[in-house]
Amino acid sequence: MSELRFDGRVVIVTGAGGGLGRSHALQFASRGARVIVNDLGGSMHGDGKSTRAADAVVAEIKAAGGEATANYDSVEEGERIVQSALDTYGQLDVVINNAGILRDVSFHKLTKEDWDLVYRVHVNGAFRVTHAAWNHMRDRGYGRIVMTASAAGIYGNFGQANYAMAKLGLVGFANTLAVEGKKKGVHVNTIAPIAGSRLTETVMPKEVVDALSPEYVSPIVLWLSHEECQETGGLFEVGGGFFSKLRWERSRGELVRMGRAVTPELVKKSWSRITSFEGATHPTDIQQSMAPIMENLQAGPSRGGNDLVDADLALGYEYPELTSSYDERDLAMYALGIGAARDPVGHDLRLVYEMHNDGFVAFPTYAVIPAMKGLIGLFQQGHQVPGLNYGIDRLLHGEQYTEVLRPLPKSGKLVHRARIKSIYDKGKGAVINTEARTFDESGDLLAINEYTYFIRGAGGFGGDRGPSAELNVPPAREPDARVEERVGENQALLYRLSGDINPLHADPSFAALFGFDRPILHGLCTFGFAARHVVGAFAKDGDPRYFKSIKVRMTKSVFPGDTLVTEMWKESDGRIVFHTKVKERDEVVLSNAAVEFYAVIPKVSGKSVTAAPAISPEPAVAQAAPAPNAAPAPGVAPAELVFLGIKAYVAEHPELVAKIQNVYAFKLSGPDSAWTLDLKNGNGSVALGAPAQADCTLEMSNGDFLDMTSGKADAQKLYFGGKMKIGGNLMASQKLNFLQKIDAAWAKEAVTKLLAEGGFGQASTASSAPPVAPPLSSGSAPSSGDTTGHAAAIFAALGKRLAEKPGLADEVNATIAFVVREPASAWAVSLVSGSVSVTAGASHADTTLTVADEDLAVLCRGESTARELYLRGKLRVDGDVGVAHRLGFLKGLA
Amino acid sequence: MSKVNVIGVGMVKFQKPGKSDPYNTMASEAARKALSDAGIGYADVQQAYAGYVFGDSTCGQRALYEVGLTGIPIFNVNNNCSTGSTAIMLGAQAVRTGTVDCVLIVGFEQMQKGALAAKWDDRTNPMDRHAGAMNDIQGFTQAPPAAQFFGGAAREYRWKYGTKRETWAKIAEKARKHASNNPYALFNERLTVEEILASDEVFDPLTRYQCCPPTCGAAAVVLASDAFVQKHGITNPVYIAAQAMTTDFASTFESGSMMNAIGYDMAKACAKQVYEQASLGPEDLKVVELHDCFSANELITYEAIGLCPEGGAEKFIMDGDNTYGGRFVTNPSGGLLSKGHPLGATGCAQATELVWHLRGQADKRQVEGARVGLQHNLGLGGACVMTMYRRD
Repeated sequence: MSELRFDGRVVIVTGAGGGLGRSHALQFASRGARVIVNDLGGSMHGDGKSTRAADAVVAEIKAAGGEATANYDSVEEGERIVQSALDTYGQLDVVINNAGILRDVSFHKLTKEDWDLVYRVHVNGAFRVTHAAWNHMRDRGYGRIVMTASAAGIYGNFGQANYAMAKLGLVGFANTLAVEGKKKGVHVNTIAPIAGSRLTETVMPKEVVDALSPEYVSPIVLWLSHEECQETGGLFEVGGGFFSKLRWERSRGELVRMGRAVTPELVKKSWSRITSFEGATHPTDIQQSMAPIMENLQAGPSRGGNDLVDADLALGYEYPELTSSYDERDLAMYALGIGAARDPVGHDLRLVYEMHNDGFVAFPTYAVIPAMKGLIGLFQQGHQVPGLNYGIDRLLHGEQYTEVLRPLPKSGKLVHRARIKSIYDKGKGAVINTEARTFDESGDLLAINEYTYFIRGAGGFGGDRGPSAELNVPPAREPDARVEERVGENQALLYRLSGDINPLHADPSFAALFGFDRPILHGLCTFGFAARHVVGAFAKDGDPRYFKSIKVRMTKSVFPGDTLVTEMWKESDGRIVFHTKVKERDEVVLSNAAVEFYAVIPKVSGKSVTAAPAISPEPAVAQAAPAPNAAPAPGVAPAELVFLGIKAYVAEHPELVAKIQNVYAFKLSGPDSAWTLDLKNGNGSVALGAPAQADCTLEMSNGDFLDMTSGKADAQKLYFGGKMKIGGNLMASQKLNFLQKIDAAWAKEAVTKLLAEGGFGQASTASSAPPVAPPLSSGSAPSSGDTTGHAAAIFAALGKRLAEKPGLADEVNATIAFVVREPASAWAVSLVSGSVSVTAGASHADTTLTVADEDLAVLCRGESTARELYLRGKLRVDGDVGVAHRLGFLKGLA
Repeated sequence: MSKVNVIGVGMVKFQKPGKSDPYNTMASEAARKALSDAGIGYADVQQAYAGYVFGDSTCGQRALYEVGLTGIPIFNVNNNCSTGSTAIMLGAQAVRTGTVDCVLIVGFEQMQKGALAAKWDDRTNPMDRHAGAMNDIQGFTQAPPAAQFFGGAAREYRWKYGTKRETWAKIAEKARKHASNNPYALFNERLTVEEILASDEVFDPLTRYQCCPPTCGAAAVVLASDAFVQKHGITNPVYIAAQAMTTDFASTFESGSMMNAIGYDMAKACAKQVYEQASLGPEDLKVVELHDCFSANELITYEAIGLCPEGGAEKFIMDGDNTYGGRFVTNPSGGLLSKGHPLGATGCAQATELVWHLRGQADKRQVEGARVGLQHNLGLGGACVMTMYRRD
C-alpha cells in the first residue's frame, strides 16, 4: 500500500504543544504537510500562557526536515490561528480541533467558572477555529475537520460534568457540519481518544499512561484528514491499539396508531418493547430518525381498540391455512343433523344414501361446516388472533352467510383461507366478521363463508360502527310459501356429530349454567332446517344443486322439540327472502334472511370429479401413470404426469411410430390443456400444446381423460356417452389401446425421472446438466429477500460451480437450508447425488445453517472456518452438525 | 490413619433467592439435622468446616453459633462451586490423619437473583486466564459467563460428534424426572424435551432449562473415625473409600479447547486417582451424583469420569444408561438442574444424597442395590473434587 501523503496540504492542529496534538503535528509534518502548531502554552487547567510548548514542537519538526509554523493564540480567537495559516501558507486544508483543558470536580463542587472555562476552550474554541476556516474550505471545495471528543461525554464520567458536556457538544456540532459540508467536499469527523497526556496522567497509573501513547491515536486522525477518506459524520473510539466506530442504535420501540389514547400506563405496559433492542435499527440521519413517525402518519388514524378488541391489530389478519377432507358419510351425517330424510323413502333420501339411483347429492349448507371446524380446532389449540383477546364466553354467533360456487362434490380435500374481514363497534358489543374461502383440490374456489360474531361488552373502542341498514326485510304481504316442521327431540345430539361439540347443546347441567332448562339447538342447525325449507319450496325440482347462498341473522334460541315455521317471500326466481319462527312461542329465531339460487346448476370442475370417482375410491390414474396424489412434485397437474408417462413409454418403444402413423391432438378441459402425441414422425414425441396438424383430435374433460388412461373409463363408452368428442380420423383413436399397456410402477419411476429434468417445462429438452434453477445458472440474482448482501452472488456462483462440478454432491451428500441474516435471505442447496440444485427460498433440509450475510462471505473467502464461526456462535447449526464439516464447496465463492 | 466414616447427613429444602431463610438459619438447621442423623450432639464435634462463597468472612461461625458455643475450631472454606466437597475433604483429612475423631461440615449459600457474576472488580479476577482462553477460542458475548464456558464446551463437543440438540435436552428431562421424587429439590415438575428445547436460548445449544438456577440452601455432613464410631455404637456406616482433588492443568489455558477450559482434564485426572485409590472402577458403580450445572457439563462428565467411552455420550443417553433401569443412575436427586445450585451447599447435598442411597433411605428415588456411590463436584477457577462413598 502506498504511503498516505499530505504534500501540499496545510494543517492546523490546535493544542499541539504536547500530548495528542504534538503527536498529530509531528505525524502530519513527517508526511509532507505544512503544519500550524498552535498552543497557547497554558497549564492543563487553563491558566497561564507561554510560547515554549509550540516552539519546541516546531523545532522538532524542522529538525526532522519538516515544515511548520508556531502560533500562540488562544482557540477562543480562532480566526487569528486560521489567518496565520492563510498568511503563512496561503491555504488551509485540515483543521484538527484538539486543544482542551480539564477542570475536573464533582458536580456539587463545580463552580460557574469551571463550567464556563471548559465550555469556552472546547466548544467555543472549536467553533471559532472551524467557523473561520469554513468558508475558505467551502470555497475551495475541499476540507477535512476532526473534532476531539471523549468517552466521558459519550458515557459520562464522575467529576467531569463540564468536560462531558463540552465533548458531546462537539459531536452534535460535527454531525451538523458533516451534513452541511458534504456537498462541498468538507468532511467532518470526531474522535473520542484515550491517550496518556497531560490531561490523563493525573488520573491513571504510569504504566497505563505509557500504554495509551498518543502514537496510537494520531494514525486515525491522519486517515480521517486524508483526501482518500470519504468518511464524514463519523464518531470513533480510539486508543491503546483499539480503533472502532460508534453509531446510534434504536430499539424497534412501540408505535401507537394515531388517535389512540396515549397514557403513562400505556408507556409502562409497553416498556419492554420500548427498551428491547431485538430487531433494533441504526438510523444515520434525520430522515431515518423520522421514518417510523412518518409511517405512522401514513398508516392513518387508528381503527380503534380496547383490551378485548384491537381493530388495528386484528383487522385483515389472515389465519394459518387450514385443510380438511370429507366424504359421503360426513355429508349424510350433516343432512340427518339438519332433519333431512325423515321420510326414509322420500326425496331427501339421496342426501343421505350414497348408492341412490338418482345419484348422491350433497346438501349445500354443509359448506358452513369444514372451515368452521378448522377455526374451532385452531381455537382449541390455543391459537389467538392478535388483537382479539376475549374469551369464548363473550361470543355469540350472530349472522351467517354461506355461498357455494357449485354443488359440493361427494367427497373432497379442502383448503380454507380465513381472515378477519370487518370489525364493527356497536357500542355495547363488537361485531367481528370472519371470512373463510374454501378451495377444492384443484385450487378452485368452492365456497365462501362469513361467520359474524357478536362480542358482548367489547364495544365502545372508537371503531367504525358499520352499516346500519336492515337487509332482507320481508315485504308486507302474506308469504308465498310456508313450511312447518317439528324439530326432533334428539336433533341437537345428531347435529353435534358434524363438528360443533359445544356441551351447551348436549349436557343438561352445562346448559343450566347458561340459564337454560335443557340443552338448546345449534343456531346453525336451525339455519340448515331453514335452508332445506327454502330449497324444498323454491329450488327447481327441489334440487339442492341450484342453491347458491344463504344469509341469516340468529335472533333467539330454539329447543329440540320446537316447531319451526319458515315463511318465504319470492323476490325473484333467484332470490327468496324468509324468516323462521318457533310456533310454540311465536318468536322469530332467524331474521333478515335470504336464499339465492342459480338459474342453472354450475358446472362441476373436472378435477373434483376425479378426486371423487363415483365408482371406485381408488386414485384415478393408478394404471397408466402414477396417481396424482403420489406425485413426487406437488403442483404438477395429473394430466402432465400421464403425458410424461406416455412420453417415457414412447421413448422406449420407437416401433410404435411404424405401427400407428398418426398425430393425435388432445384437448382437455377443466382445467384446460392441449397436448400433442406424435406417433408419425421420427421416433415419436409427446409435447405440451396443440399440434399444427392432427390426424385425430380427442376432446374431453381432464377427469374423463384421467379415468380413460387409468382404465377406469372405457374410451368407447365415453365417446358414445357424449363425453369424448373425436375429430378427424375416428379409427385412429382405436390405435390408442397401447396406453392401457403401460405398467403403472414403471411409469411412476419414469415420470419421477422426467420430472427431475423439468417435466414439460423449459428444461424438458433433456439436458444432462443437473437442474440448477435457471435464474441462478444464468448468473442473475434471484429475488430471495434483500439482495444487497453477498448471499445472492454467492449462491449464484454456487449454482455455476455445481453445474460445472456436479461431483461435489457426492462429497457433501446432504441438503442444506441456508438462513442468511442482515440482510435476510434464504437458500436451499441440495447436494445429494442425482439431485443437485440451488434455489432461492426456505426449505426443509438435513441441516439448517443460520449465518449473517457478512459471516457467510467471510466463510466463502476462507477468512474463517466453519468450526470457528460455529464456536463463536456466528454459525448456527440445526440438524446434522457433520454437514457443517463439509462446507468446503463454498470456498472461493465470495 | 483411620477410615473416615460418614455418620450423619442432612439438608434443607432448596429455595429461590429471596424466598429462603437467611444463611445462618439454613446452615444451623442442616447442621442439627446431620447431628441428629448421627445421633450425637454438637458437644461431640471437635472441629467444624463451613463452606460458602458469597458473604463476609466468618459466616461459618455465625451460623454454627446457633447450634452451640463450644469454642471449637471453625474453618471457613471457599472454593467456588466445589466449596462443599472441598470442606468435606478438609474434614476427612483431619479425621484420616488422626488429628480429631469427629468433624461437622456444613455447606450453605444465600444467593442473589441472576446469573453468577464477579463481586470484586477492583482486583485481578481469578477467572481472567480462563476467560482469556475462552475469548481466544470463541470470543466473549453478553450471555451469562458460566453459560458461555459450558455452552462453549458443548459446541466443541457437538462439532466433534454431531450431538443432537435433543440429546442435551434429554439430560435436563431426566434431571426433572428424578427430581419429581425429591422433596428437597427446587423444581419438582417434570419437563418434556420439547419444553426444554422451547425455553429461551441462553447460549446455543443451551436453553434455559438446561442451566441450573442460582439457589439458596444448606446441607451438612458429620465425619468420624472408626474409634468414634465404635464408641458411639454406630454400626455399618457409610465410609469414604477414596477422595481426590485436582486443579487446573496447563491444558485448561493452552490447548485451545473449551472442554479443557471447563475442567475436562481436571475431572479425568481426578477420576483416575479416585478409581486407583479405591481399586474400583466405573463398573462397580450404580449411583453417581455429578456436577450438572449445565446439561453440557453432565454429558461431558460422563466421558471424563469414564461412565461411557469418549464420543459415546449420545448413545449412553439414548440407551437410558443414566437413569433407573440403565447402567447407572446419574443424579437421582435431580442434580443441580433441578435442585438448584447453592454453591457452598451443593457438595454437601451431593454427599447427603449418596449416603441416603447407600443406606437404602432414598425413598422413591432409591437406586436398588447401591453399595458404592461416586460424587463429582466441580468449580471453575478451578477445582474438581471427587469422592467415592461405600457401605459394606
